[in-house]
Amino acid sequence: MNSQLTGYFYWLKSRLATRGLLTLMVVSLASIPFFFVIHSSLQLSVERWFGLWTSRLPDLIWNTLSLAIMVAFGAFLLGVSSAWFIVRREFVGRRLAIWLLVLPLTIPTYVFAHIYTILLEPSGWLGSVWVWLFGESSLPNLYNVFGVGFVLSLASFSYVFLLVRDALSRTHQNLEDAARVQGASSAQVFWRINLPMLRPAIAAGLALVVLHVLSDFGAVSMLRYQTFTLSIYLQMNARFDYQAAAGLSLILVSLSLTFLVLERFFRKRQRYYSSAQSRKVIPKQAGITEQFMIWLWLGLVSLFAFILPLIWMIVWSWQAWIKDMIDMAFWGYVSNSLLISVLAASIAVVAGLPVALYHAKRRDFLSQSCVHLSSIGFVLPGPVIALGILVFVLALVPNIYGGMLVLVLAMVIRFLPLAIQSQESAIQQLTPSVEQAGRSLGAGPLQNLRRVILPMMRGGLISAWVLVFIDTLKELPATLLLRPTGFDTLPVRIWIEASEEMLELAAPAALMLVIGTLPVLWFLMRSGAKHSS
Amino acid sequence: MNIMRLLNIFLLVALLPVTQLQASEELLVYSGRSDKFVKPVMEAFTLKTGIKVVLHAGSSTSLLNKLQLEGERSQADIYISNDAGNMQKGADLKLFSIIPNEIAQNIPSNYRSKQNDWLGLSARARVLVVNTNSPLVKDISSVFDLAEPELKGQIGLTHSGNESYIAGVTVYMQMKGKDATRKWLVGMKKNFNDGVFNKHSKIVKAVASGKKAVGLVNHYYVYRHLEKYPDAPIRILLPDQGEQGMGVAWNVAGAAITKHSKRLNAAEKLMAFMVSKEGQGLFASVNREYPTRVGVAAADDVPAVGSFKVANVPMTSLGRLRNETLDLIEAVGMP
Repeated sequence: MNSQLTGYFYWLKSRLATRGLLTLMVVSLASIPFFFVIHSSLQLSVERWFGLWTSRLPDLIWNTLSLAIMVAFGAFLLGVSSAWFIVRREFVGRRLAIWLLVLPLTIPTYVFAHIYTILLEPSGWLGSVWVWLFGESSLPNLYNVFGVGFVLSLASFSYVFLLVRDALSRTHQNLEDAARVQGASSAQVFWRINLPMLRPAIAAGLALVVLHVLSDFGAVSMLRYQTFTLSIYLQMNARFDYQAAAGLSLILVSLSLTFLVLERFFRKRQRYYSSAQSRKVIPKQAGITEQFMIWLWLGLVSLFAFILPLIWMIVWSWQAWIKDMIDMAFWGYVSNSLLISVLAASIAVVAGLPVALYHAKRRDFLSQSCVHLSSIGFVLPGPVIALGILVFVLALVPNIYGGMLVLVLAMVIRFLPLAIQSQESAIQQLTPSVEQAGRSLGAGPLQNLRRVILPMMRGGLISAWVLVFIDTLKELPATLLLRPTGFDTLPVRIWIEASEEMLELAAPAALMLVIGTLPVLWFLMRSGAKHSS
Repeated sequence: MNIMRLLNIFLLVALLPVTQLQASEELLVYSGRSDKFVKPVMEAFTLKTGIKVVLHAGSSTSLLNKLQLEGERSQADIYISNDAGNMQKGADLKLFSIIPNEIAQNIPSNYRSKQNDWLGLSARARVLVVNTNSPLVKDISSVFDLAEPELKGQIGLTHSGNESYIAGVTVYMQMKGKDATRKWLVGMKKNFNDGVFNKHSKIVKAVASGKKAVGLVNHYYVYRHLEKYPDAPIRILLPDQGEQGMGVAWNVAGAAITKHSKRLNAAEKLMAFMVSKEGQGLFASVNREYPTRVGVAAADDVPAVGSFKVANVPMTSLGRLRNETLDLIEAVGMP
């Protein structure tokens, strides 16, 4: 009997290899919330499905899609234009501009929403300027699709910027030269050469942006804009209707997965190769007027996306400081946040590694499904993930409930896709022959992993760690539900203080989020710079 | 290697909750109210009894959700909410245990549930705040006047996620019927053309600045503003008074002992403290609410209890009819 079992195990092992087994383990853990959603929505009766369908869905689909399109457009405009200037022009303060365009990633969407509602009050900084310019009656109102779209575009365009910048700096000059020789104008070159070449990067960036929009909880709940995520949250929270919440989540997941599959499909058909000998792009020195124009645009973008919120945070933190309101408890929130983010990032990188390795090595149906299933965390709204994990933990492993482990688990599941994707893209640059060379020189699989593969994909590991760290540091909805009692993180405090109008207390917490992200972001940018040079 | 070290940390973290559980002889309070209103009461309690209190803050509804999902695993001992609707919802979901009569009897029966599974601790009135310089406000005497077309662009409302707002609508729905309430909501929807407010305090601010003529708020927000700006041109208008009036909508913040509390003795002590004269006096003074215990005076500047008419609606209905109210609000499409 026993030998039969071991025999079966070895058979499975020989079929899948260790990384396959590990992958299956990670993926089954990551799909807990998904199974919860399916399980709960199966309990919805046909009438209730019908009721949901007629009463809510048309509005929700319209609200969610129009917001996604608006943010995608905004992020495209801001991200592509700024990436273009950064890569193609040499101007004073270019490195500073790069930083200013990446730093908005450190500000959570709910902080953006909160700050802009305050700034746009008639007596707020922006509001009073607006009133002076156009009068009070036309003061913009953020509680609609344009307001939410504005906030989310500012919060997410940096993803497009980063990816397009990377792609732009890797494109080569000869195609453009060829077009120029044939007599194309600069506009024509842009529309017919550059833009099509950039399509994969733009698509990947926009996909990231759209997924963030679909699962955003902070901004839509602050601004009361009914998307799927907010409606799901309200179903759960105000009405205690978990089944309807699960039903809506299932529809949201199917929408997002369709979108993801489509995006992967189009990206796959659009691979461009360039010959190694071709000339790299050298940024053109910008003239005085051009420098002025560039800084006018980049300055405007970063003013709204980073500088203004930062100044607001500093001013109110200063208020808190001189009123002596920053006490030991505050530093406790800081260390809680750091602890949870470091743990989640480290575990997510380790857990994501076998999945990424497995998928990079075997591109079959099984590995594809594994990657798709493990990206569930990005597609489901945070509150639903938290609920799914809560129900799972209470039902099967109640002993760990109330501890940090549950919270860490939730963070890892939520942000595992980030870890897998950045590791996968690093592995793809490894040619299989490198690994084979290691093996043929007598290295065992583990030694090979440690001495060949991991060092070569170091950049990918770092960016995986950093991305998960940043997102965990900002995470709100799952933390609200799953944190151990008395364990408040910075986002939780921001949430509580902001809803009590205690700006002096919300601002320092938001500022600490920015400061806490700086060193890891610096590390990422530095390794990225090395990598591309 | 690194991975082994990580695994160690992981295991350490996994064992953390067990040790935490054993170490804590403190009371755990799920509090849906602002820390600044609850903390003074808890500190006074700790000073008096030596029992420590951990406050786990959040929104009233999400904490109730948490309590329900946790079931017997919950470590919470006390649940505090700013809204009778949530209190009754929790009672209906059987999340609370019965409070001994000698504690409950301190609170009049209209401010607690029939089974004594929750007690109202402090009451608030839903009032209108008006700008005293505005010529528009002299015709206003009822909350239903907010739907009048003359007030277009002049009314301040919170968004409909606000628990006090929902509870108010539940009261009006019972007093005036569903159709009248729907018409009222539709009328108001036309009137707040430049959006709703996310805070009551911002409504009061907007009325004080003259941007709005009138707003619908809980009474203590008006005093909070007047405390900071004594000369602000605002006053409270107690709506729906007189023979024909339905009376002011009334709501209570309350507390309950959770069903699975493992420290019942200490939890009952805390409940007893919150309904004692000292505790009630603290609730009255930190936020100018009306203490529910008879004989404890409210703050001097608020209108005295009994001097105005209150809508005759049982507090328990605020929980029972909440989903119906939400349906109505959503059908009208209030943001």
